[in-house]
Amino acid sequence: MLEMETARTDTAAQPPLATHTSTPLPLPPATRTLASSLVGPTGADEGIAREAARFGGALLAAGLLGVALGTRDGGASIARHALGAPAALLVVGGVGVPALCIALSLLGVPVAPSRVVALASRGAGVTGVVLAGLAPAVALFVVTSAAPGTAAVAAAIALATAGGLGLSRMLSCLARDLDRVDSATRGLAHVAVGGFALFAAALAARVWWMALPILHGGVS
Amino acid sequence: MNATMPDAPLALLLRRPDEVARRCREDDRLRPLAATSLGAILVGAAAFGGTLGTFRGGHQIAFAALKVPLAVTVTLAITVPAFYALATAAGRTFSLRTSVALVLAALGRASLLLLATAPVLWLAIDLGLGYHASAVLAAALYAFAGALALSVLVRGLGEGRGRVATAFAFVVLLAGVGAQTAWSLRPFLVRPTATDVPFVRETEGSFADAVVKSMRSSVGIYDAVWTGSRAVGAAGERAADSGTGWTTRGED
Repeated sequence: MLEMETARTDTAAQPPLATHTSTPLPLPPATRTLASSLVGPTGADEGIAREAARFGGALLAAGLLGVALGTRDGGASIARHALGAPAALLVVGGVGVPALCIALSLLGVPVAPSRVVALASRGAGVTGVVLAGLAPAVALFVVTSAAPGTAAVAAAIALATAGGLGLSRMLSCLARDLDRVDSATRGLAHVAVGGFALFAAALAARVWWMALPILHGGVS
Repeated sequence: MNATMPDAPLALLLRRPDEVARRCREDDRLRPLAATSLGAILVGAAAFGGTLGTFRGGHQIAFAALKVPLAVTVTLAITVPAFYALATAAGRTFSLRTSVALVLAALGRASLLLLATAPVLWLAIDLGLGYHASAVLAAALYAFAGALALSVLVRGLGEGRGRVATAFAFVVLLAGVGAQTAWSLRPFLVRPTATDVPFVRETEGSFADAVVKSMRSSVGIYDAVWTGSRAVGAAGERAADSGTGWTTRGED
């Protein structure tokens, strides 16, 4: 009798069929993938050769979006857009980053130019990876949209998203490096970095406008 | 292991999006889960499409039953690279295999909702719901199913910074790509009085263009619309030669 009572109690104590506890999954462990090698770590630098290879990979990845954009008209347009998409990364990296290095050095910020260059290449890596990832979606819109304006908007959204994420990655890592600087210098450094962000965005937009004819769609 | 925990892939898709996300991330018994997800997409989307086709009946039932799964699988193929890239940018270094598994499982779960709501849509059509109302109801159910995909993806991204933003960005992309793919494969609903029922219509504008035009039309503003052909090759050249491609069109 006592065993039956215990069994009944045990049965009553069992959770109902659909009950379960859902434990949130942690961040996935860091694994080496092609995309992660382009994006790079947030920590220590990996040497100039590795960063240069990363930047080259970012340019190639960005070229994939250019290929997608060129499919609207086909032919030479594919090549033109494939060269035009990475152009902004090249120009911002070649013109804007040295200017930032000079500005930070003049302000006495103890962040090595090589560090700034490394962060810029990782930011470019993020931009390249996102552009490559969005390429199929952009291709869908540019090929299946009759109105040129729609294709232009799809391209602009992809470029703005990828450019914004890359810039954000670079600047957030730089901001962490600036935490160890005194407050006055840090304030000036943030102004310089903010100015760089605005300049980089404007320059990238200008280069893409010039280099990607699809962006002119529907605009005279 | 709890004896009451569902283990069959179909049950997991319905009840345990967290377990689905975990299996995708850890490559744990992935093959049956992926196969079930793909099966759910094909069956659920086909049922939903066939239901849409009943508005006109006849060949349209088969056409729509074929096109909705095609739209979902094309959406899957197009959005997986974007999910992989956005997740990597947010610090989630998934393999491409994991990304495919997560998006496949997410869309499989969404397709099961399409299967569940197909009878509701059928009943509404059978009771005489009009063309535009049917289109709105179908679009709303399709969008709601897509939103359900979020539950697997958010869990798959794991805790940490950038989770919500990444999931939101991907869902916006999924909605846009899903809408444009479906738009490209229309018509799904065809008026019963239509004599010509093409499998796929020629490209006219885009989903976004149609939404903007409808909104403006609803307040009495009728726009010039792009009716030029996007056909490739000689057909496209003939269409380009025939005119500017812009006409003023009244209410649809």
